Amino acid sequence: MSSTKRYWKDLGELHQQPAVIKGRENEFPQDLAIDQVLGDASFNGASTGRRDFLKFLGFGLGAATLAACETPVIKSIPYVNKPEDITPGVANWYASTFYDGEDLASILVKTREGRPIHIKGNPRFGLNRNPALPKGSINARINSSVLSLYDNERLKEPMMKGTEGMAAAKWSDADIAIGKGLAAAAGKRIVILTNTLASSSSVAAIEQLRTKHPTVEHVQMDTISYNGVTNANLKSFGKRVFPSYDLTKADVVVSVDADFLSNWGNTTESTWQYASRRQPGKGMNRHFQFEARMSLSGANADVRVPMKVSELPQVILALHAHISGSDSGADAAVMKATEHAAKALMAAKGRSVVLAGSNNEGVQVLVNSINSMLGNYGSTIDLEGHSYLRQGDDAAIAQLVKEMDAGTVGALLIAGVNPAYSLPNAEQFKAGLAKVPLTVSFSGYADETASLCNWICPDHHYLESWNDFMPKAGHYTLAQPVISPLFSTRQWQESLLRWSGSYTAYYSFIRENWQRNMAAHGGLTEMFADTWNQAVHDGVYEPAGMSFPASGVTFAGDVNAAMGMAKAAKAGEGEFELALYTTEAIGSGQHANNPWLQEMPDPLTKITWDNYVCMAPADIERMGLNMYLGEQAPASVVTVKAGDREITLPVVPTPGQRVGTIAIALGYGRGANGEKVGKAACVTDHNGVFNPVGQNAYPLTGTADGAVNYDVLNVSVTATGETYPVAITQTHLTDMDRHSVVKETNLATFLGGDKRAYNHPHELAVHEDVNGDGVINALDKKPVAEFDLWEEHPVEGVGHRWGLSIDLNGCIGCGACITACNSENNISVVGKDEVRRSREMHWLRLDRYYSSATTKESAKQDGLGKIDMYLKMEVPEESPTVVFMPVMCQHCNHAPCETVCPVAATTHSNEGLNQMAYNRCIGTRYCANNCPYKVRRFNWFNYVSEQFSEVNPAWDDLGRMVLNPDVTVRARGVIEKCSMCVQQIQAGKLEAKQAGTPVQDGAIETACSAACGTGAIVFGDLNDKKSKVLGLATSDRSYHMLEEIGVKPNVNYLVKVRNTEEAAAHHA
Amino acid sequence: MHSEAAIREPLILGHKTYHDITNDIVGPIENKAPRGWYILFTISALIALYGVGCILYLISKGIGTWGLNKTVDWAWDITNFVWWVGIGHAGTLISAVLLLFRQKWRMAINRSAEAMTIFAVIMAGTFPMIHMGRIWMAYWVFPLPNQFGSLWVNFNSPLLWDVFAISTYFSVSLVFWYIGLIPDFATIRDKVTRPGMKKVYGILSFGWTGNAKAWTRFEEVSLVLAGIATPLVFSVHSVVSMDFATSVIPGWHTTIFPPYFVSGAVFSGFAMVQTLLLVLRKVMHMEAYITKKHVEYMNIVIIVTGSIVGVAYITELFISWYSGVEYESYAFINRATGPYWWAYATMMTCNVVSPQLFWSKKLRTNLAFTFFMSIVVNTGMWFERFVIIVTSLHRDYLPSSWTMFHPTWVDVGVFLGTIGIFFTLYLLFARFFPVLALNEVKSILKVSGESYKKEAANHQHH
Repeated sequence: MSSTKRYWKDLGELHQQPAVIKGRENEFPQDLAIDQVLGDASFNGASTGRRDFLKFLGFGLGAATLAACETPVIKSIPYVNKPEDITPGVANWYASTFYDGEDLASILVKTREGRPIHIKGNPRFGLNRNPALPKGSINARINSSVLSLYDNERLKEPMMKGTEGMAAAKWSDADIAIGKGLAAAAGKRIVILTNTLASSSSVAAIEQLRTKHPTVEHVQMDTISYNGVTNANLKSFGKRVFPSYDLTKADVVVSVDADFLSNWGNTTESTWQYASRRQPGKGMNRHFQFEARMSLSGANADVRVPMKVSELPQVILALHAHISGSDSGADAAVMKATEHAAKALMAAKGRSVVLAGSNNEGVQVLVNSINSMLGNYGSTIDLEGHSYLRQGDDAAIAQLVKEMDAGTVGALLIAGVNPAYSLPNAEQFKAGLAKVPLTVSFSGYADETASLCNWICPDHHYLESWNDFMPKAGHYTLAQPVISPLFSTRQWQESLLRWSGSYTAYYSFIRENWQRNMAAHGGLTEMFADTWNQAVHDGVYEPAGMSFPASGVTFAGDVNAAMGMAKAAKAGEGEFELALYTTEAIGSGQHANNPWLQEMPDPLTKITWDNYVCMAPADIERMGLNMYLGEQAPASVVTVKAGDREITLPVVPTPGQRVGTIAIALGYGRGANGEKVGKAACVTDHNGVFNPVGQNAYPLTGTADGAVNYDVLNVSVTATGETYPVAITQTHLTDMDRHSVVKETNLATFLGGDKRAYNHPHELAVHEDVNGDGVINALDKKPVAEFDLWEEHPVEGVGHRWGLSIDLNGCIGCGACITACNSENNISVVGKDEVRRSREMHWLRLDRYYSSATTKESAKQDGLGKIDMYLKMEVPEESPTVVFMPVMCQHCNHAPCETVCPVAATTHSNEGLNQMAYNRCIGTRYCANNCPYKVRRFNWFNYVSEQFSEVNPAWDDLGRMVLNPDVTVRARGVIEKCSMCVQQIQAGKLEAKQAGTPVQDGAIETACSAACGTGAIVFGDLNDKKSKVLGLATSDRSYHMLEEIGVKPNVNYLVKVRNTEEAAAHHA
Repeated sequence: MHSEAAIREPLILGHKTYHDITNDIVGPIENKAPRGWYILFTISALIALYGVGCILYLISKGIGTWGLNKTVDWAWDITNFVWWVGIGHAGTLISAVLLLFRQKWRMAINRSAEAMTIFAVIMAGTFPMIHMGRIWMAYWVFPLPNQFGSLWVNFNSPLLWDVFAISTYFSVSLVFWYIGLIPDFATIRDKVTRPGMKKVYGILSFGWTGNAKAWTRFEEVSLVLAGIATPLVFSVHSVVSMDFATSVIPGWHTTIFPPYFVSGAVFSGFAMVQTLLLVLRKVMHMEAYITKKHVEYMNIVIIVTGSIVGVAYITELFISWYSGVEYESYAFINRATGPYWWAYATMMTCNVVSPQLFWSKKLRTNLAFTFFMSIVVNTGMWFERFVIIVTSLHRDYLPSSWTMFHPTWVDVGVFLGTIGIFFTLYLLFARFFPVLALNEVKSILKVSGESYKKEAANHQHH
């Protein structure tokens, strides 16, 4: 209700007297009378008064200060209604499944406030679960995959190819256009090209599309082909499958170029299975490896025989001859070289396995024959409960490319693979693609293949997706979304459903599919909801009564034909033979856009951010190329020519590489034509050019006998005369025979039972009669552990004392701990140039030492002087043994870093932890200098800044969603280092306190120990008398690194034991 | 007045009166500076500016602009720090220790040597500051009462001892130097005619009257300060050496470091005094006061300290072998034969071999050769610190972490910059301050002046 009442102050106002009105206007003058004041002539002469001056000064200062303040910008939005399961500060873990076409693993995803931030193996369910620990075995690619969710280069909506390249489009338009396109393709082939799906619901979705478009066909492709194995199994046993291996039953493992610990086959299973048999003792397995390049498996082998690539089929022929007793025409030299392996196999019939990495069908048939003769089917190899992975069909793809070119393919829908990048005949594929009227990619990126398609209908990231998998007969796993889709993407299966005319969500589709299948198999349909919920909760479903007992099978292969195929591989005319391989970090290339993985050093070469030519040091020397690589010592560049294809890459000396062979990693050189394939796939290089990381070596692959061939037997290598900087985290190759760093022995010595023979404690002579011989002399010694230079920290037996035990036998060098640590502790990614300057920030590193032919003992025998001895010790032997040693902060109880910090920024906790207070650190780096283990890392720059934006995920708004909110992102100028995941310790203690119980052994895990599927890293309370870690720390194999300097670490190592015969031990 | 043996060489050449001395020393302050001064000043100031620019760049970008890495966390920064602290040792040694030993030859050189000390310590102090990752928190190294809780400094840390040692040394040296300057400022005040200068030097001289009481007090204070400063000469570098000696790194963890560092410091300090004085002598025409004899005396100090340093080097090598510790043994073999062998060879040649040439009287009284040697010695001493710091760190316990250190242009720029700043300050000193302790020199004129000695000798004959 309005009122027209008016009020006035005085009568003058009421009567609107002019003077009053004027005065009212001037009551609050709008303009300051500055002009008037300054214009005043008398002002010019006047000096500013003291009070005025102070006022101006004060105002000026105040204004400047205010202007300098940034108004706080608060971006957080509180929940209006708190979601039932989300409590800020409390992590939720969800079971899911990782599958990228190569590795499959049951995982647990940690989410905080709705964001997935960390991945570990599912310790309760899944094929990758090591039941003895229990822990889920995963590799670095799997735990790093959480980062790829937050990649800003992921497609945020569908894309349509227009006249000016790819442009954003609407889903509705895409659906209409693609629907029309599919209809138009009627009569022609409509091909759905995917990776091996191993997913019944995905296959059902394809089936559903086929109901509408009858010409739909499904072609599966494995980026790294296993056709040799699967086709051989078809020939040998009538089943085109990849077998399921059980290395826990194998007393003898003979691998011929199969890197089963890194990338060959189902590594999430084979790693833990293998490691479970590496515990020194009577049950320790024996591992022979024949290979050209030093692989991770070769590095772990008890006996490793370097062989030329062309000799590897000969090894199989020779093994076949040894075991069958009939001549196979193998070289006499190879026959001799395989004698010991064959003998070991014969002695372990039914308890052994022969693996071959070759993609040659003939070789694999022979392997099947060998395993069959050894009676390994039904024990170590299972063809009944076989793997459903690796069903890719090279012949079908070759046919597809042909038909695309011929114009008989009406539509091509591509999911999960990148053929334009990875096919040997990628150029033909691309040419064919242009002839297909409708091409659709489901890739999450506008990658090499997608950017050539008419449409990109981006798929969800797997952490946003529902899916089901059947990695093995009778074993089902589920993937569930752990976050709402970040972008306007759609799961590709759902797209298929949509185009088939169904509006069912893929989740409902899977659920219905399961319900239907269970009913078909006689499952309890009325209890389905419970079963389903439990399966989603566990991530795994293993129906009772669906087991496939492994049974022996009858080998029906044609050995003679196989021998012919195997012998076809002849040494070429060229100077070198090339082995193409995939690395532990990048894999086949789809993870090349993951900064954590790019910065993860290769387990053997320790190189980051590049692929390169691996060459034997002897060849490098012969060719006069750069042997020593370092910050200012770049690698020589060579051109490798294989037929009409060539690649130019830096060359790196790799000890253990067979002379006359080279190796190049696949999976690099993504985005070479400017495709946006993800954040770290392309970076600005040392010349300031934005370039792909590494070079694509897939064009060097070829096709032989209908399968992709990764062995190129005839290549030439020519130096270009140029050099190229490489970023290496460990430039020194050997351990300089420092026995208090790495202790190793062989099984016989270990079984001898005398601890002093293999784990001699460091002793100091004392002035008392220790040995009771009545004389005080140099024989009176006490272990260094009994001495204390300082007063001991009161941690022994009081409260908790956290510690780690690291088993050098269990560690296979996979590096999953490194990326797990990155993820848990927000480790900055610093990029190639900083790594080249030895400034990687990893809190946990994996030291790799090659053996040298020169030891202190051998030098004494040879009468070598000290100087020569040390120089020779720096050089690894031609076929060295390898030790992997994870090193993190050792949390010394007499920490040298703690005493030297002038401001006490690093201190000792009463639980034995060496703590770092970032806020107190002023960055003198004295602690880092005084650390004998060199585990302290300094923030040389502000790594969360534009300068590092290309590589550091913490820079952009999306990337930083992966950060663990429990851990500070460190600022420039402070030291950081392993905290033993103190945030996990605190959380675990709090949980125990709330539960009113003591902290249970195993309840708290560090990121590294949780990530270690082989159980090599064990965390626990050393004051807990029953803890596993104390048991290990007090075991006979336990030692402290650099024990003699008396820093008393809380991390202990267990002596590495090799299952070598006495004579084979290199020290002897 | 006591007299001096005729066979002692005179310390002031020619015939000088008290008035001459005043004129010779104050003259350059009153008059226009010689052209040489302007040239040197311009060069130094430009280098200083470049250095300041590098330091600002360093502070704004981060320590990563240096060539350091995860294994070698100190390199040129602390090398420069120790080098400059070492240079800063000669001044106090000359003024304090030689005062206590009644060495009269010190009077011609102590003023500029002390100035050098002050400037060198300022340069030295720069490095621990700018080498910090967070220089804006540098004040945390002082045990200040604070509101961060009960945060206190770590008294176990040799770096903290450094803070105390260096700041004490700096303040005592500064006071000592300034006290010595007071009577000389008063002389300038009395001599100059321009009112402005008169006023400035009047303030600087603290109202010095020059009466007998003032002189008595002056001498007493000088002695007391000399007494305080003398232990500092030994403590500062001992403490600096403990940064290394108390650590666990092979090549650092060495008990002989304190005496070894102190003698090395005196060694390099005297070399720097030579560098500066030989130039000063020429540019400011001080030949009568800074004589060959002075130079020779200092060269003798260089032989002695250089030989001590040499013995220390050899002792280290011996102990590395004798201890039987593999890390220690490797550290020293690596120094001599590893990738940084050239640094070790430079150090050995410059510090151990070359000073021995001074056993020849001809060489140690040759001014050009002395100048050359002073540069050689300081080069050698810089490499000594580089060898100790970098070659010990770059290959310590775990071969996995072994790296190389490569300096960047910022490393070089900051180092050159401090040399520029040092010379700029020194040239300003030479221009506006009395470069010789003129009143003290006057006190020995009648005893050690050439003409007076001759006169006295004639008296005795007749």
